[in-house]
Amino acid sequence: MGICDLPAHQIAKMVRLREISAVEVLDASLDRIQQVDGRSGTLNPGEITNDDKQKVHAFISITTDLARAQAKAVDQKLAAGEDVGELAGVPVSIKDIFCVQGTHSTAASRILADFISPYTASPVNRLEAAGAVIMGKVNLDEFTYGSSNESSAFQPAPRNPWNTNHVPGGSSGGSAASVASGEVALSLGTDTAGSIRQPASFCGVVGLKPTYGRVSRYGLIAFASSLDCPGPIARNVRDAAMMLKIIAGADPHDSTAATHPIDDYLVSIEKNIKGKRIGLSPDYFRITYPDPVSGSFQQQAVTHEIEQPVRHAAEVLSDLGAEIIEDIPMPNTRHGIPAFFVISRVEAASNLHRYDGVKYGYRTPIQTDDLRLMYRRTRGEAFGLQPKLRILMGMYVSAAQYSEQYYMRALKVRSLIRQDFHEAFNPTGKYRLDALLTPTTPTPAFEMGAVYGDSVMMQYADQLTVPANHAGIPAISLPGGISSTGLPLGIQLLGPDFSESTLLSIAYAYESATSGESWRSSRPKVLS
Amino acid sequence: MTQYESIIGLETHIQLNTQSKIFCSCKADSWLDAPNSNICPVCTGLPGVLPVLNRKAVEKAMLLASAMQAEIQPVSFFDRKNYFYPDLPKGYQISQYDMPLARGGFIDLPIPDSTGQNTTSYTRRIGITKLHLEEDAGKTKNIGGERQIDFNRCGVPLVEMVTGPDLRTAEEAAHYLFRLRQLLRWIDISEGDMEKGHLRCDANVSIRPVGVDYLNPKTEIKNVNSIDAVRDAISKEIERQIRETEAGQKIEAWTLEWDEDRGILKKMRSKETEADYRYFREPDLLALRIDDAWQNEVVSIQPELPLQRRQRFMNAYQLPEYDADILTSEKKLSDFFETATKAYPGDSKKISNWIMNDLLRILKDRNMQIDQMQLQPADLVEIITMVENGLINTSTGKSLIEKVEDSHQRPSEIVRSENLTRVSDESAIISACKEVLAENPTEVASYKAGKPTLMGWFVGQVMRKTKGKTDPEKAKEIFETLLH
Repeated sequence: MGICDLPAHQIAKMVRLREISAVEVLDASLDRIQQVDGRSGTLNPGEITNDDKQKVHAFISITTDLARAQAKAVDQKLAAGEDVGELAGVPVSIKDIFCVQGTHSTAASRILADFISPYTASPVNRLEAAGAVIMGKVNLDEFTYGSSNESSAFQPAPRNPWNTNHVPGGSSGGSAASVASGEVALSLGTDTAGSIRQPASFCGVVGLKPTYGRVSRYGLIAFASSLDCPGPIARNVRDAAMMLKIIAGADPHDSTAATHPIDDYLVSIEKNIKGKRIGLSPDYFRITYPDPVSGSFQQQAVTHEIEQPVRHAAEVLSDLGAEIIEDIPMPNTRHGIPAFFVISRVEAASNLHRYDGVKYGYRTPIQTDDLRLMYRRTRGEAFGLQPKLRILMGMYVSAAQYSEQYYMRALKVRSLIRQDFHEAFNPTGKYRLDALLTPTTPTPAFEMGAVYGDSVMMQYADQLTVPANHAGIPAISLPGGISSTGLPLGIQLLGPDFSESTLLSIAYAYESATSGESWRSSRPKVLS
Repeated sequence: MTQYESIIGLETHIQLNTQSKIFCSCKADSWLDAPNSNICPVCTGLPGVLPVLNRKAVEKAMLLASAMQAEIQPVSFFDRKNYFYPDLPKGYQISQYDMPLARGGFIDLPIPDSTGQNTTSYTRRIGITKLHLEEDAGKTKNIGGERQIDFNRCGVPLVEMVTGPDLRTAEEAAHYLFRLRQLLRWIDISEGDMEKGHLRCDANVSIRPVGVDYLNPKTEIKNVNSIDAVRDAISKEIERQIRETEAGQKIEAWTLEWDEDRGILKKMRSKETEADYRYFREPDLLALRIDDAWQNEVVSIQPELPLQRRQRFMNAYQLPEYDADILTSEKKLSDFFETATKAYPGDSKKISNWIMNDLLRILKDRNMQIDQMQLQPADLVEIITMVENGLINTSTGKSLIEKVEDSHQRPSEIVRSENLTRVSDESAIISACKEVLAENPTEVASYKAGKPTLMGWFVGQVMRKTKGKTDPEKAKEIFETLLH
């Protein structure tokens, strides 16, 4: 245990009280990176060695100079008696899907490998203004298209700090891995179908997907614009609440950013949860997936190991005075992935149009007078498999002759999924839930290479997380236990629009009540 | 032989004259600016950027919708129109598709007869089917085997306004554009300059035998950059369609391009090969909601429209249609006329004559706009009144307009300081005439010897002596008496 393993709020407090300098925190963080991260992802990694396989590889670029300048600025301000912000000196990593001025902003894609952003994303700006020290950009699935990080064009891909033979999850895999291994205290991730919550669950950390629009998307390189949510990844609930408070809020650069007032989440977490109505749904204890051979849909209950932490959390919360309501019907949960397949691909294909070799990023080195050929070569050479698949499917389902039966239909399904939540949360309805409690993922972190290559099955890892994206509601994933194989298990809380305060208070109550449980003392293997 | 009528619809793109672009704060007007000097991450489509709608652009579009009697929709949406082109940096254009800002609407177009006197021979109602907001793309130039792209125009706000198939002749199409341009400037939403691309027009043209009610396949003419070009291109296309139909050929739904220099139409592509734009809702923008309060606030500043004012001038001031048309050609001119005529107790036609004969000539000579003139409506009334009261003669009155411009003084001040008052005292004129005769004995002798044309010369001498203040008719009368 060292400085790196302290909670963010504690680091910030110590820095502010000048018990430690921001530069000392930075150096500790750099040491930890040095110790566990191994080499950063690159386009031409050569052979992945045995040594590589023992490391985390969370980062694509470590911006030491910028970080040192920020840390020094914090220390100087403190020395001058100036305000340094709530995150003073806290090391933070940024998923490399956000633009940060003067840094490579790659989206883990060859097509943007050399793109240096001339501007900074709004949530990153807010972190910097609060005194955070940005350690660098962390790896992800190419353009966030994946749930394991294996699709990154920058290899070696991140590995799970609890067991480096396993994936960290994705697409915010680098974020979750960097937080779990103590390289940073906080990370800024994005969640389009579960991309914050699933890796948080796989890496044993807290991941919060806020209400759609709660955090500005300005500077977030878009995947599916109607679903993308930036959000915090942290090692504990209080840190997640603190980070959300800083990055949330209206933004003149994002007209979809909500003007809804921001609660003081640090006050909210302390609230008593007595009388809160928390639901359990059978539709979240099973998954539906297409049979790879027949294509017909199969249903399967999640394992006891996945269900058990949820049942345990329900007992803990019940003991704290919450009311547990069973058998909440969420019948459209099973349509979440197919609808996501369609909607996200249509938006993704359109969002990828701008990478054409004309203005920035990769352009084919082969000279040609034929514009179409330049487009084809540039995109053919620089997009990886996942962007190509998503462009193909997105173009197909949005074509004039198919749009009605796929895209328009998927939008209707999306409304139905939102309707499920409305029924469950409606304060004058039958269930009147404050939150729904579910597993975050159907399995713990899978082994590297085990699912990769099956793009359809990979997507089903998001089955329990994607409904929140369709509905636009907030959801949080919390560590809920350790599997028999020593991997973290996550539990998820979902709530109505802008109920982050309630979710955080339930999460915090649960976290506090279970702090003494034995599984809590387990540590990621890379740290042992 | 079959008689044909032509069916024409126009699709116009109107560049709004807002200060900033539609989705970012870059300067909208880049006329004469260096390429790529008015750009930012948003309008050049950098990764991660988002559009934020310019309220002013919406308001200008609302003004046009209201002027066209169109129904402003309480909720409309933006959509993405996806296609690849180097000057379209995002690979999609943010436009409106199935839920546009306004629907319906019309303009009653007075079509003049062929006398050139601007008298209406009939009125044609032109329906508006759709009016929506969108962003402009950049410009591509091919220079020396190189493709050069200027992003300055990216994100400049445009209104696309589409008429029904309601126009029947190339002349009507030209008139529609003429009236539209007048309106755009009148309500101050666009400079309306076709040569600068502020107003762009595509024309859909088909023909059918007179008397039937079905529509034949149409061709679309693109790239027509002036009202004359629209008239020429449509006429040529109507001729071609009649010729082909008469020859037993079928008209196919082509897209044609007008070659301005050669005055010919070239086939660009067949409709069948047209792109699928894969429209879908722009997820980066919220629905555009226009409530009654906002609409009322915007529309309340709408001025009386040109064709309404033209009619009112005819009714209220008994102006001939010709005068009313010219006086309402632009709003400031019509305001000038109306202010002047209200301050003048006499016949409005007199004000109109002075404006049309003298003021407009001076504006043209000096290449000025009416609101740049020193001369105010009250000054014009003052000049006309002084002429009518006999204080100055007509030519002095006309020269006063120029003098006001040059001296920046009021007309009455100039008359006083330059002593321009007309000499009406007969004895003063007689003595001046006598002086002229005494000073020019040779001319007097010639006149008396039979050279009556010298009379004009004598009058001129008196005018010079009296600095033009003498009534020339009076002087002539006196000379005739004296030389008799």
